[in-house]
Amino acid sequence: MFRCVVVIWILAIALGPAAIADETCQSPYLPKIEGQEDYVYVWTLGVEGWGDGSDKVVTVGANPNRADYGKVVDSVSVGGRHEAHHGGFTDDRRHFWVGGLDDSMIYVFDVATDPAHPKLVKTIDDFVEASGGAVGPHGFYALPGRMLIPTLSNAKDYGGQAALVEYSNEGEHIVTHWLPEDAPYGYDARINANRNRLLTSSFTGHNNYMRNLADLMGDSEAMKNFGDSVIIWDFHARKPLQTLRIPVAPLEIRWAIKPEHDYAFIEAALTGELWTVLRTEDGSYEAVKSGEIGTREEQPLLAVDISISSDDRFLFVDTFMDGKVRVYDVSDPRNAKQIYERKIGAQVNMVSQSWDGKRIYFTSSLLANWDGTGHEDEQFLRAFDWNGEELTPTFEIDFEAEKLGRPHLMRFGQIGFWAGRDVGTAETLAGTP
Amino acid sequence: MLVRILVLALLLVGCGAESGHEPTAHAVHPAPIVATSPEVPRFEPPPVGSYELPTIQHVDEYELVSSDGTVAPLLGLVAGEAAIVSFVYLSCGQACPLATATLHQLDATLARDEVLAGRVQLVSVSFDPERDTPEALATLRQGLAPQGRWRFLTANDPAEIAPVLADFGQDAVWIPERDGHAPAKLRHVLKLFLVDADGSVRNIYSTGFLDLRILVNDLRTVLGEFG
Repeated sequence: MFRCVVVIWILAIALGPAAIADETCQSPYLPKIEGQEDYVYVWTLGVEGWGDGSDKVVTVGANPNRADYGKVVDSVSVGGRHEAHHGGFTDDRRHFWVGGLDDSMIYVFDVATDPAHPKLVKTIDDFVEASGGAVGPHGFYALPGRMLIPTLSNAKDYGGQAALVEYSNEGEHIVTHWLPEDAPYGYDARINANRNRLLTSSFTGHNNYMRNLADLMGDSEAMKNFGDSVIIWDFHARKPLQTLRIPVAPLEIRWAIKPEHDYAFIEAALTGELWTVLRTEDGSYEAVKSGEIGTREEQPLLAVDISISSDDRFLFVDTFMDGKVRVYDVSDPRNAKQIYERKIGAQVNMVSQSWDGKRIYFTSSLLANWDGTGHEDEQFLRAFDWNGEELTPTFEIDFEAEKLGRPHLMRFGQIGFWAGRDVGTAETLAGTP
Repeated sequence: MLVRILVLALLLVGCGAESGHEPTAHAVHPAPIVATSPEVPRFEPPPVGSYELPTIQHVDEYELVSSDGTVAPLLGLVAGEAAIVSFVYLSCGQACPLATATLHQLDATLARDEVLAGRVQLVSVSFDPERDTPEALATLRQGLAPQGRWRFLTANDPAEIAPVLADFGQDAVWIPERDGHAPAKLRHVLKLFLVDADGSVRNIYSTGFLDLRILVNDLRTVLGEFG
């Protein structure tokens, strides 16, 4: 029998970060979940007397077609309390890195082998030493084969001098880039690969973020130690090019997702303002105040997290102090128009949305010593549907009743995302039919 | 929305006899490669030598099988050389052709580069040794007609590829087919690896970084050719 082999490779690949951006707010170098997420992973601060009191990754069922919808599927403690804060996936989405802002511990979970049951596979306990003194690993941002980790502080004085630290996916330190002396504060780090530009923002150091919030806000000297800088970097060269000033505490950065949109949104936490960083004709960037977050009389509302829709139309903004989300139409990036607001709880911090923009999730905790007290210390994950005009509640998890802790960062998982068999092995991954 | 579209048609035609379970060599009638370049990236790369490329990880040397059927080292570098390593498989429909097209362009660019020519190896390694036999890779190689040092490697056994992938940190999972047939497609993140003669991985490129200018500048930077 004769066979004629015709090999035709026809490729139509959408290049660039938009094509591989994650569910709206993650690294452009990460495969995204476009459909229904099955799980929400919640990096949770331990609370003394609640269960084992340890920080933990909590897995919550998020697929309405599954029996575990709206339920806690799994909870994996890391042992001890470390000021659990942020986390992120590696570029192959197989590992979920989470960190503690207090003692700079980093934990790496395998979420590919069994997405319903993340497994702690590596602990990095020498981050401060290995990085040359960086403290407070804040973000975990996937680069090809490595993680970019913006920090908040340093071991010299626990003040605001921060760094960008790179680790290999295997968990080895690669390099540390200290932020410039005239713009030392760190917080977020986000890349626009189309432009080879990295944006970093600024918060405050360990001395401040570990203090009781009421004490801190009453200390006028300490309140001076917040950053107002946003740095534009040549990403490939890792060199700062330009510093913009956005008072005060410009935190979360969200590049617009459509590649022709050369701008990013940033919320100024202490002044309650929404800002847009736009590329100008000469290739430099300008910062423009594009909206108010609440009224001036209400400040500080602590605008803590933002989330952009995949069509660059809606920006969700959470304000911690009043527990509200405000939704802005940001079709005109210089003029953000608030179109909706809703009280999510006594306090609210993080907001995450699905790629299709239909499902929005909120968590309640900011920092152990900044969260409310008494009845204000509500701790939850609350899920909503968004129809473009309003939010409709779908399910919630009471993290106090479940004795889990203070829920913070959320990331999505999907059964079968890695289903199959690793090349060259007999290992079959969960979700394989 | 500036979505850069790359359309690459790589047509290789081979007709041969299939007798029993023995693989047979294909008569090869390679056709020209037709490729349109990706849209010009919207930034100017930083100059050669103006930045550092610290070691991301170290990889070992491995013995694999070349497209001519002989045992060959994966890297086989000597001092003053570097390699760009790419993992692909022939039945891949999306990412691999992009990786191979990028190497094809790089091969042509390097051939015209007085400094880098002869000092850079391009290496395409198959994820799929069962189907990507030396003969099949030879067909691909003939179609691509490399101008410089571009080698195509496979293995005698799929299990020999697993430690290589693990060492490089290259994810790759066979997607199961529901009708019981053997898996045909892999899920993997496209990555190219720049490796120096010490086995140090100095950069890793995925779709956001597949820019010839960056690749060439990085090679010059790693090889200390700043002129």
